[in-house]
Amino acid sequence: MSESIKPDDIDAIIHERVRLAIVSALAVAPELSFNELKTMLSLTDGNLSAHSRALDEAGYIVIQKTFQGRRPYTTMRLSPKGRKAFARYVATLRQIIDQGDPSTDDSS
Amino acid sequence: MDRDQAWDRMQEIQRIMERATLWTLLPGTAAVLGGGLVLIGCAVSYAMFRSLDFADILHMSLNRQIAFCVMWFSIGVLGVLIEAILTARAAKRQGLSPTVRSARLAIFSMTPSVAVAMVLTVKFLMPAQPTVREIQYIVPVWMMLYGTGVYTAGLFSIRPPRVLGLTFIAMGVVALLAVPDYGVVSAALSFGLLHIVFGLYILRKQRQGRAS
Repeated sequence: MSESIKPDDIDAIIHERVRLAIVSALAVAPELSFNELKTMLSLTDGNLSAHSRALDEAGYIVIQKTFQGRRPYTTMRLSPKGRKAFARYVATLRQIIDQGDPSTDDSS
Repeated sequence: MDRDQAWDRMQEIQRIMERATLWTLLPGTAAVLGGGLVLIGCAVSYAMFRSLDFADILHMSLNRQIAFCVMWFSIGVLGVLIEAILTARAAKRQGLSPTVRSARLAIFSMTPSVAVAMVLTVKFLMPAQPTVREIQYIVPVWMMLYGTGVYTAGLFSIRPPRVLGLTFIAMGVVALLAVPDYGVVSAALSFGLLHIVFGLYILRKQRQGRAS
C-alpha cells in the first residue's frame, strides 16, 4: 500500500507558480537567458529577478552574469540539485493524481 | 493539494516545457549534416564549371544544366528529410509529439519565406535564356529569405535561431550587393559552413544541458 502525501513532501520553493515555471523551462532547455525566460513566461524584469534569486539561493539554478559588449547578459541553468528537486516534485504530483487527496475524498 | 490542483500543475508544467523544447528539438546533427551536403554540392558545382559563379551554368550543355538542378534539388529535399527525421526522433526521445507547438510554430514561420524563395527561383529560371544577373540573384535571395524564416521561427523561443537568421540575412545582403558573382562561395559559407558551426554550437549546448 502506498503512503499518503504529507504537506512536507511538497517542495515549497518549487511549488510557487512562477518558480515552477522557471524550473520547468530550464528542465528542458540547457540554458536560457534572462530575456528568453522573461519572454517565454511573460514575466516582468522584477518578478523574474526576485524568483530566480530565490531559486539561486536554494541552489536550484545557476545564474551566470557576463557581458556582451557593454551590455550585461544573464543566463540561467538548472543545477543537479534543482533537477533532482524538480523530478521529486513531479513524482509527488503524479502520486497525488494517482492516489487522490484523502482529505477531499467523498467516499465514506 | 488535491487531485485537481495537482493535475492543473502537471498541465502547466507540460505547457511550459513544450514552449522551451525548441532548444532540445533543434537538430544540431541535422544542421551539421545539411551543411556538409551543401559543401559537397558546392564542390561538385565548382568541379562542373570550374568557376565560383553559378551563372557559368549558362555555358554548360542542357544535360549538365539538368544534372546540376537535380543535384541541388536533391540536396534540398535530403536536407529537409534529415531535419524532419532527426527532429521527430528528438521529440520521441523526450516523450513529446513531433507536432509539438514549438515545432509547428517553427514550420509555420519558415514556410512563407521558403515558398517565396521557390517562386523567385522558378521566375529567375523560367525565361528560355535566363540572364547572368537572374542566375546570380538566386543564392542571395535564398540566403535572405531562409534567414528571415529562421529569424521568425526564433521569435517565439530562444536566441540562437534569431542570431542564425540575422547572420543569413546579413550575408545575403553582402552576397547580393557586393559579390553576386561568387555564388558558390556565398552558398558554401552560409548554407554550408554557417550551418555546421550552428549545429556544433547547438550540440555542445545540449550536451552541457544533459551533463548538468
